[in-house]
Amino acid sequence: MTETPTQYPDSEPSDGIRIGVYVCHCGLNIAGSVDCEEVAKFAAALPHVVIAKDNRYTCSDQGQELIKQDIKEHKLNRLVVASCSPRLHEPTFRRTCEEAGLNKYLFEMANIREHCSWVHLHEKGKATEKAKDLVRMAVAKATLLEPQEENVVPILRKTLVIGGGVAGIQAALDLADTGYKVYLVEKEPSIGGRMAQIDKTFPTMDCSICILAPKMSDTGRHPNIELLTNSEVEDVKGYIGNFKVQVLKKPRFVADECTACGDCSKECPVTTPNEFDIGLATRRAIYTPFAQAVPSTYIIDRDLCLNKENVITCDKCLKACEREAIDFEMKPETVELEVGTIVVATGADVYDPASLVEYGYKKFPNVITSLEFERLINAGGPSGGHLLRPSDMKIPKSVAFIQCVGSRSEKDGHLYCSNVCCMNTIKDSLLIKEHWPETRIYVFYVDIRAYGKGFEDLFKRAKKDGVLFIRGLPAEIIEDRKTNNLWLIGENTLQKELYKINPEMVILSIGIEPRQDSDVIQRLLTLSRTSDGFFMEAHPKLRPVDTPTGGVFLAGCAESPKDIKDSVTQASAASARAGILMAQGKVTVEAITPRLLAEKCQVCGLCARVCPYNAIAVDKETKRVDLIEAACAGCGTCGAECPFEALTMRHFTDEQILAQIEAATEQDADKKIVAFCCNWCSYAGADFAGVSRMQYPTNVRIIRTMCSGRVAPKFIEHTFARGVGAILVSGCHLGDCHYLNANYQTQKRIEKLWKKMERLGLDKNRLQLAWFTAAEGEKFASKIKEMQSIVDSVTLDEIEKSKVIVKRTAR
Amino acid sequence: MLKNEKTQEKEMKKEMMLKVSDIDPKFKYEISKLPGAENVLLCFQCGTCTADCPIARFDDFYRPRKLVRLVQLGLKDKLLSNDVIWLCSTCFTCIDHCPQDVGIADIVRALRNLTTREGKMPVVYKEIASNILKTGYAYVIPGLRLKKREEEGLPSLPKASVENLAKLCDITGLSKMLEKVRT
Repeated sequence: MTETPTQYPDSEPSDGIRIGVYVCHCGLNIAGSVDCEEVAKFAAALPHVVIAKDNRYTCSDQGQELIKQDIKEHKLNRLVVASCSPRLHEPTFRRTCEEAGLNKYLFEMANIREHCSWVHLHEKGKATEKAKDLVRMAVAKATLLEPQEENVVPILRKTLVIGGGVAGIQAALDLADTGYKVYLVEKEPSIGGRMAQIDKTFPTMDCSICILAPKMSDTGRHPNIELLTNSEVEDVKGYIGNFKVQVLKKPRFVADECTACGDCSKECPVTTPNEFDIGLATRRAIYTPFAQAVPSTYIIDRDLCLNKENVITCDKCLKACEREAIDFEMKPETVELEVGTIVVATGADVYDPASLVEYGYKKFPNVITSLEFERLINAGGPSGGHLLRPSDMKIPKSVAFIQCVGSRSEKDGHLYCSNVCCMNTIKDSLLIKEHWPETRIYVFYVDIRAYGKGFEDLFKRAKKDGVLFIRGLPAEIIEDRKTNNLWLIGENTLQKELYKINPEMVILSIGIEPRQDSDVIQRLLTLSRTSDGFFMEAHPKLRPVDTPTGGVFLAGCAESPKDIKDSVTQASAASARAGILMAQGKVTVEAITPRLLAEKCQVCGLCARVCPYNAIAVDKETKRVDLIEAACAGCGTCGAECPFEALTMRHFTDEQILAQIEAATEQDADKKIVAFCCNWCSYAGADFAGVSRMQYPTNVRIIRTMCSGRVAPKFIEHTFARGVGAILVSGCHLGDCHYLNANYQTQKRIEKLWKKMERLGLDKNRLQLAWFTAAEGEKFASKIKEMQSIVDSVTLDEIEKSKVIVKRTAR
Repeated sequence: MLKNEKTQEKEMKKEMMLKVSDIDPKFKYEISKLPGAENVLLCFQCGTCTADCPIARFDDFYRPRKLVRLVQLGLKDKLLSNDVIWLCSTCFTCIDHCPQDVGIADIVRALRNLTTREGKMPVVYKEIASNILKTGYAYVIPGLRLKKREEEGLPSLPKASVENLAKLCDITGLSKMLEKVRT
């Protein structure tokens, strides 16, 4: 390894293209399994390459400075950096180019870390060969790169916050205080969310509603906040800075004149279990969810109310209301909003332990969940703060908590740790001790995770107060029929002894799970979800509140289980991120939209038909085709569809992609897999495989496009004509496409190609189509392993045959 | 008296002490390759298996959780020479309840197979096996009992094909394994 950059002899290119190649060691991250010096030497010999160097950290200030010097000194007009994923450092090096006076679109990256060194840790020779190929491909594309000018899009200074829990409230308040207009949409009749249901908060034991209620009323009164409760987001169109949102405002049947006096509710003849108290108390058909509700207006539950449809059979509430606020004629209303940014704070559901039959929840009255406990211990709750056990309404003398219910399980519930249950139980046990110090409290746990500020102190306090922590979960709960007490049998794993304990009440410490309807928001905003079902951030470390969709941010439990403090922190972070965009008031969009070559266009209209955004207007009469730049997102599926090559996808031109294919197949093509990966899901999935060091065969060469819809059939035919072993086309899962539905076009095209291959007598197995999310690194790695066996089984005869046939039949 | 206590303490310490040479670091990987035992490394010792084990309730030494821990630690000899692995009733309750999907009963079966291969099977099992090989029955029914059956007018018991059984045992290698068992 060379500490000082090595320089290799110049070659003088004839057509004025002067490329500089920089191969990064990334410490030992790349140099550990790739011989970077050799790759740099190889690069130096490639056509148009004027200079090639390898250095330890190219992204460091020194590394960038070196590039800038070289650009000036050697008059470089193209730059290639072989290092990590462009998803990580492309912006860095583009900036370097700009600082050296080079258009940033003259930069290309070879991903020799996530896609090479990290996934071929033990095959230095092959990994080095692959790195050379990747550099060759990048240089081939760089040769054809052209400077581009970016468009500037204005950003509306308005925000939509979806979800009115503590995260949504915080985000709304922060943004509104900064001076932006905020629409806060909440599905339930009141904002407040889960925090409103909780009695006390850990580790400070603050009263939850006491600290939340002021924030709730601030939100309700804020001049910059428009509250849309009992409402749901129905449709989102547009793009960063310019979203058009449709919100369905469901009728409350009670007008704003309501003073929340409650006279109506007293008269209402129908009752039902109350959602806020998780069914431990009842409410009427006309009700307010809880005392501190914002807005405090009452609401009529028309599914329950005796007045169905338009038939009024009961008018007790109408008569009781002095202010005549009740209006049975209220209709649902669709509100159209225009916003620049969106904060997703949709929260989470709690795990329902009824599916764990061994714990007998809902079968044994004295087995309750931790959320039900919160309502029972709450002074404003159904029992007035007395911990009454449901079977006989007596205060229990002994209580057992069972941890990890629905969490950390391969089978029932979820694989992940729900983050809050350990501390919640510790807090709950202290609450019981505070009121009834004589109560015997057992906590059955696997691990206690008291990791946050002040958490260990609280844990210590609970132990000091005599709460018994027993390591080892009971397998089963058996009810004593006479007393309704419960038998817990299990192993104290630290003492290897069996215990048999007979508490009077058991509290299941239930986990947190993604919202049932997460897929709706996911689809509307084209977000991704991790395998556990929570929304995925743009980068787990460095962009933890951004999403892959520009202008959309995450806050609270929608992203992962978290406590109140973390939710509030994240909400402030999300509002700061959204605020940056709105303060700037404009954003540049990548110059990857198409350009029309009017002389080639036959006005056939195919492009307009496949465009997911209606960004192409075709007028057959006047023979005019207009590209609406502001609506275009740059997926490139129009370019793939055009039979006359009349659309040039900027920065992803046909020539550039074909050059990459040729570079990838220059040597040993028959043993290689060429993979086309979309930027958002499958390329990111391959990156994820790299970050997780999932090993797979070295013979795959990845070509990045923005969407799998960009992959034109001619690319595939050309790749086969070059004699490649197998081809993978991959994109986001159907329905999850970052470009609405562009990947359905991919599917159509591949199915057509399969048919064609069958007709021509070619093995269609050699063309594979697969969908990955950005979190499915393992799936990507196993797909490549699977395809290795396809490549192994393809004979040279078959390859020669396909070369000839494809060349003959290609359009 | 005092001296006696000291030696006792010493012996206890000896019992609890592990030598590095006792550990077979590859053992856990060998076990994890066996069908049903793939998740042995996922066990986080929550003790749910022991909690619902019908045997653990009657025996102070049988702890399925501990068996899995010993596998994870690679204490092969300690495991294979221990009679407790023969106590499992293979009721599969542990597998049903395990949150990490560890095939505890399958692991126990794998351990029994290993023990048998090494000729460390408890003698009682060898006796049962040889009874089956000799008569087709796990329990050799005394002649007196058979005679009594006849007197009571009960039908005679079905005869097992002992020759075929012997052939099966030879082919599968069970006969050789049984020979190895020390009596």
